[in-house]
Amino acid sequence: MATVISQELADEAAAARVPHRRRPVPVWRWVILLLTGVYFLIPLYAALRFAGIASFDDVVHQTGFSDALILSLKLALMTTVITLALMVPTTIYVHLRLPRLRRLLESITILPIVIPPVVLIVGVLEVSPGYLKSTPYLLGLVYVILAMPFAYRSLDAGLRSLELRTLVDAASSLGAGWPTTLWRVILPNLRTALLSATVLTVALVLGEFTMASLDLYQTFPVWIVAFDQTSGPVSTAASLLSLFVTWVFLMLIVTLASRRSRRTGTGQVELFSVRRTVR
Amino acid sequence: MGEIVKATNTTGTTPDAAAGVTGRAASGGAPVSLENVGKSFGTVRALRGLSLEIAPGELVALLGPSGCGKTTALRILAGFETADSGTVTVDGQDIAPVPPAKRDMGMVFQSYSLFPNMSALENVGFGLRMRKIGTADRRRRAHEQLELVGLAAQASQFPHQLSGGQQQRVALARALAIEPRVLLLDEPLSALDAKVRLQLREQIRSLQQRLGITTLFVTHDQEEALSMADRVGVMKDGTLEQIASPSELYTRPATAFVAEFVGTMNRIPGELTGGGQVSALGTVTDVQSGCADVPPGAVDVLVRPEGLRIAAVASGNGIVSHRTFLGSVTRVSVLLSGDVTVQVDLPSATAAPLAPGASVQVSLDGSPVQVTGRSRQPAAGPEPAA
Repeated sequence: MATVISQELADEAAAARVPHRRRPVPVWRWVILLLTGVYFLIPLYAALRFAGIASFDDVVHQTGFSDALILSLKLALMTTVITLALMVPTTIYVHLRLPRLRRLLESITILPIVIPPVVLIVGVLEVSPGYLKSTPYLLGLVYVILAMPFAYRSLDAGLRSLELRTLVDAASSLGAGWPTTLWRVILPNLRTALLSATVLTVALVLGEFTMASLDLYQTFPVWIVAFDQTSGPVSTAASLLSLFVTWVFLMLIVTLASRRSRRTGTGQVELFSVRRTVR
Repeated sequence: MGEIVKATNTTGTTPDAAAGVTGRAASGGAPVSLENVGKSFGTVRALRGLSLEIAPGELVALLGPSGCGKTTALRILAGFETADSGTVTVDGQDIAPVPPAKRDMGMVFQSYSLFPNMSALENVGFGLRMRKIGTADRRRRAHEQLELVGLAAQASQFPHQLSGGQQQRVALARALAIEPRVLLLDEPLSALDAKVRLQLREQIRSLQQRLGITTLFVTHDQEEALSMADRVGVMKDGTLEQIASPSELYTRPATAFVAEFVGTMNRIPGELTGGGQVSALGTVTDVQSGCADVPPGAVDVLVRPEGLRIAAVASGNGIVSHRTFLGSVTRVSVLLSGDVTVQVDLPSATAAPLAPGASVQVSLDGSPVQVTGRSRQPAAGPEPAA
C-alpha cells in the first residue's frame, strides 16, 4: 500500500512539473504588431532626423536642463511615495473589509481622468493654502490625484489575483500580527502590482505638462516646451532623451519584476494588470 | 485516541517523525467547548445557539449543506468572526478576548492558502518564525514537518510549482508546525480531485490520531465526514441537529433531516398505528424510539436502501426503472405505484434478474424504522399493494 501511495505521490509530483506547451502565435498578431510598431517608430525616426545626433550632446549643457530634470524626478519620487502610502492601505482595506465599495472606489478614482486638467488645477489653486502655493510640491499633491486611477487599477488587479482573505487569515492563524502580515505576506505578493503602479506614476509625472505649466513651475516637460522657442532640434533631442530614459526605466522595472515573478509564480508584470500562474 | 501506532502509515512516513517533530505526540489536544453560540450577518442568522463539546484529541466533523453555519462556527473558534452570544472555551478558558494570532490554532483552508512568495519550507517555517524560533531550529523543524507529509523533496519549491494535493499537504504541515492546541480544517479537500482527496483524507486522519490534536473539521461531503471523524455533527439552519458517531448517525438518525442528509434514504408512504407500529409496503414493523412526537395516521417511513427486500415476481408492487453497479453492491431503483421511487441495495451477484422493466415485490426487512410526518400527498389510488 505504501508503495502504491508513493507511486501516486510521484505521479502527482510529475504532473505538477509538466511544462505548459506554448501555443503558436497567429500570423495576424505579428501583422498588427508590425503596423503598430511602424505607427510609433516613424514619428520617432522623423524626430531623430530633425534633431540630429549632435543635439543630444548639447541638451545636457543647456540652461535650466538639470534644474527641470531634478524637479521632475523629485516630484516623481514624492508622488510615488504619497500615492502608494495612500492607495495601498486603502485598496487592501476595501478588498478585505468593504468589498461592496470597490465599484464606488473605482468610480471615484476615475474622476481625475474625466475632469479636464485645467479645471482640476484651477480648483486646486483656489482651495490650497498659501504656503503650499508657493512651493512646487503642490504639484506633487496634484499628481497624486492624477496618478490615482492608474495606481488604483494596478493595485486592484494585484489584489484580485490573490486569495487575500485566505492569506490574511492564514498568516493570522500562524501568529502574525497586522504589520507582519502586511510586510511579509501581502506586500511581497503585491510586488508586481506595486511596480506597475510605480511605473505608471513615474511615467505620468515625467510627462505631465498642463498642470506644471498652469502652476508656473518649470518641470522637465515645461522646460522642453519653453526651450523649443530657442532651439527646435535641441528641444526635440530632449524630448527623445526623456522618452528613452522613461522607456529604459519602465523596461528595467518590468524585466526585474518578471524575473522574480517567474521564480516565485507571483504574477507576470503587465502594466495595467497582473497575471498569476494558476494551477 | 492519540496513541502512537508503531506501523508505517499509508503515506510512507514514519510515526517517529511525528513524535520527533512535536515532541508531544499522544499527549492529547485541548478540550473545546462552544456553548449556546449565536451569530448573525445582517438579517441572516448563521448560528442559533450552537453548543458543541470536543474532547481532547478528538476529531469532530461538522457536516451540513451550504449556509448551515458550519464554517461560521469554525471561524468563530479560529477568532476570525466574533460570536454575538454564547461562549467559546479552549482548555476551560474563554477565548473571546484572544485575537486569532494568539489562539494557537492551526488551520487548513479550503482554497490554497500557501504564501506564494515563499517556498514550501518557508511556508512551513512561517508560524515558527512568528514564535521567534531561531533560523537553524526553524529550518530543521520545518523540514521535519515536510518529511511528515512526504514532501521533504519539495522543500525549496514555490506553491505554483506544486500540485493542489501537495499544496494542501504543505498547508497541513504548516498548521501542524506550530504545535497547535486545536487543528481547524475548513473543507481542505474540496478543491482536490477524487484520488488525491482520498489519499490526503487518510493522511490527515493518520497524523491527527498520532499527534492527538483536537480537531474540528468542516465539510459538506458526508463520505469525508463519516470516514474521518470520531463524531459527526449534522447542522441545519445554524443549529446542530445531531452529533454522534458515524455509525450511530447512519443507523439511528435523530431527525428526518439527518436521516435524509446522511447516506441515501427512501421515503415511503405508510400508516402509523397508536401501538408504535407502522404499515408500509404490505409489511408491519416496529417504529424506532425517538419518533414519539409523530401522530398516528399517514406518515412517511424512512428506510435505507439496505433496509428493503426485493424479489422478482410476476405481478409485484413495483417495476425496476434502472440499476447502478457499485462494485460488490448494485443499487436498483424501483418505481412503486403512487409515483414513489425507492432505491434498494443488494449484492451484485443477485441483481442480474432485476433488469429495467422487471416486475418486483419490494418490502421492509422487518427491522425497526423511523417515521416522519407525511411530506407529500400520495397520488390518487390505493396504497401500494402488498
